[in-house]
Parts: sequence; structure tokens; C-alpha cells
Amino acid sequence: MNHMANGEDVLRAQIASMLKAGLETEITPFPEDSNAFAQLLQRIREEAGSVLEKKLVIGGFTDYPMGEDQQRCQECMYYLNHRRWCDLPELDVPVEPDWWCRLWHI
Amino acid sequence: MANMLWLQGGACSGNTMSFLNAEEPSACDLVTDFGINVLWQPSLGMDMGENVQKLLRDCVSGAIPLDIFVFEGTVVNAPNGTGTWNRFAGRPMKDWVKELTAAAQFVVALGDCATWGGIPATAPNPSDSKGLQFLKKQHGGFLGANFKSKAGLPVINIPGCPAHPDWVTQVLVAVATGRAGELELDDLQRPKTFFKSFTQTGCTRNMHFAYKVSATEFGQRKGCLFYDLGCRGPMTHSPCNRILWNRQSSKTRAGMPCLGCTEPEFPFFDLAPGSVFKTQTMMGVPKELPEGVDKSAYIKLTAAAKSASPAWAEKDIFVI
Ligand code: SF4
Ligand code: SF4
Ligand code: SF4
Repeated sequence: MNHMANGEDVLRAQIASMLKAGLETEITPFPEDSNAFAQLLQRIREEAGSVLEKKLVIGGFTDYPMGEDQQRCQECMYYLNHRRWCDLPELDVPVEPDWWCRLWHI
Repeated sequence: MANMLWLQGGACSGNTMSFLNAEEPSACDLVTDFGINVLWQPSLGMDMGENVQKLLRDCVSGAIPLDIFVFEGTVVNAPNGTGTWNRFAGRPMKDWVKELTAAAQFVVALGDCATWGGIPATAPNPSDSKGLQFLKKQHGGFLGANFKSKAGLPVINIPGCPAHPDWVTQVLVAVATGRAGELELDDLQRPKTFFKSFTQTGCTRNMHFAYKVSATEFGQRKGCLFYDLGCRGPMTHSPCNRILWNRQSSKTRAGMPCLGCTEPEFPFFDLAPGSVFKTQTMMGVPKELPEGVDKSAYIKLTAAAKSASPAWAEKDIFVI
């Protein structure tokens, strides 16, 4: 368990440094409706698979909250608060509460 | 002894199948213990051909008193209002329905097709199907908004795709034992005893609903099915988590979203691609919120619930 938690922490730190280093991700367009959302998921499945960097890029990850409403993982439906984890099967990555991606959903 | 006649229009027989699975009371108990005399039923009736025609004519003329007329399936009006796409016992079924509903003390519409038109009436509705007293949400249907059966009640609607056997048998028992007056109907003519609460009432996932933890795949035991998988439990009037199916389970207990089958708009969004088993959203917020909740309250509630959610809510707490 500890080993797994450590592994998750290491991966979270790795993602944090990729974002901090300025990884350019596709933050727009935000998927306006369920169809656009489904298409984006399909793209992640087809183009990214389990390749971390591609998931972050297509997902449009940022390491800060987004927009007027300050949208962020903390309130997103897929966020597991205690594990600090994105539970959306297509992403399935460790995150921080103040991050965001364009699959945000409440 | 109450005489019951049951006919099927544009239907899949699902409600008959459901009814035949009834227990406590079973279909046989209805006859032996509750005095329901089944004049004819598509799967139970022994008569065929001219005998059925004569029986129907006798019901229409009053030679045989018709206490309860149960109709399953849509009233088919195609082509061009003639109804000949659905002939039965020598004439369009819709002509029998018109005359039998006028002769019956009580009329029961069973299942979504008979109540609102259901799947057959989904756009473009090629069979020109109607429910007995509704077409989807619109009051009127085949019999018209003012229809009342001889006992003075409108059509008693028991929706569902199919209806749970208990919803049917208990309504039939109430009518046959002279307690129809106790059946309070809602605006859509559904007995309130079954259709006042929601599918969500009694759902085992309510704590995940409250803490905003989402199930992301079918059959997952953790999480609520509302946020991602299109569960209509908070907007659907049904007792599916109070009166369990097969006395065992329900869709949501098994990890399958409620499709809202007891509501007149079912199947929702006319089955457009991507609309089934998927919560419809607009800019990341569900288009349809639980009944009585507005959007800004929903957003505030989400933020509060998420940050308050306990660790166990994120795990599978059910141990086999
Ligand atoms: S979907 Fe995006 S915003 Fe939501 S938890 Fe996952 S990474 Fe965060
Ligand atoms: S699974 Fe459906 S019925 Fe159950 S709590 Fe969630 S939304 Fe309500
Ligand atoms: S759970 Fe929903 S879709 Fe299933 S039978 Fe009940 S009301 Fe119908």
C-alpha cells in the first residue's frame, strides 16, 4: 500500500514538473456538450492510450484553476479527494486539487 | 367476482411476461383468492377465433359485464388513421379499444406503450401510435383528455418498460375488491402509492450521491450513476428501490443506471446517439438536475460535498 502510495506520489511529482516546465496542452476548446466530451474521450483512447504525456496534452491539463469559475480538480466529479486521483478511466492519473483539465465535470 | 379482459396492441408482451412472474399475489392467486375472472388474456386465454370475437362483442354489448379492461401496448392508428396495421379478431384493434373502454367499469393502461406511447411512439412514430389517454406528456391520447370509464375514473396508468408485477397485481386487487376509490392518482394518472417517490428513494448509492463520488463504469459497486452514466433516479417517479425486482435487486443496485422508464418522455432524447447511459451536460454541468435543485445550488453543494467526503466513500465498501 505504502509502496503504491509512494509510486503515486512519484508520478504526481513527475506530472507536476512536466506542467511546470511548460508542457503545452490543448486547453481549448472546452467540450461544450456530452457529444464533444465523448469525442474527446475517444481521442484519448485512440491517440494516447496509456502514454502519460499524450493524456496530459489531449486532456488539456493545467497546474492552476481555470476560468472565471476557478474550475479545478477539487470539485470535479472524477476527483478522489483522499487519494488525490483522477478516476476518469481514460485519464487515471494522480492530480493535485488545484489542477484542471478540459474534461472537468460536476 | 370481477371480470377482467386484457388485450395487447402495439406491444412486445413484456408486461404480460412481467405479470406472469408475479408472486404474492401470483396471477393464479388473483383468480383463486381475489375473485378475478380472467375472461381472456393473450397468453392465458383458451378461446380462439370466433369464440374470442363473440366474447368481445358480448363485453361491448353488456351481455358479459366488463369490470376491468387492461390494455397493453399502443393504440396503432396507421395507416392514415385506419389502424389496420394492427388487426385483431376481425377488425382494427383500435375499434375494439374504443368500444371496450366505453363498456368497462375500470380501464387500466399497462406499460409505457399503453400509457404514453413508449418506444413505438418515439419520433418519427411510423405506426402513428398513441397511449390510451396520453401521447408522451400530452394529455389526450387515443381516448381524449375527458375520457372517464363507467366507474368515473380516468384511465389508470401503470407505466414501466415493463411494469413491475406488484404494481399490476396490487392495482388489480384494489379494483377487484372494491377499493379503487383508495387509489389516488397523480397528474399523469399514476397511482401515487407507487409513483410518488423516486427511483432514488432507497437506492444503496445515495451516500455516494451525497458525497459526489461517481461510478465510471457499469457494475462498479462504488459510486453513484448520476454524474457520468446518465442515471435518472433523482428525476424518475418509481418504487424500484422500495419494491425490489424479483424481491432481490434493482437496476441501480446492480450498477446499471435508471433509464427513467416510468416517465412519459421515455426513451429520452428520442434515443439520439450518445444520449443513452450518458449524463447530458452543458459546459461540464448536467443539463437535468435532481428534481427541485437549481444550478447554482448544485454547484455550491458539489464543492461542499466533495471536500467533506470521507475516505471510505472512494472505496468499494461492499464485501462479498
Ligand atoms: S477530469 Fe480533469 S479536472 Fe477532473 S479530476 Fe480529472 S484531471 Fe481533474
Ligand atoms: S445511482 Fe441513481 S438512483 Fe442511485 S443514488 Fe445515484 S442517481 Fe440516485
Ligand atoms: S430503475 Fe428506472 S428504468 Fe429501471 S425499471 Fe425502475 S424506473 Fe424503470
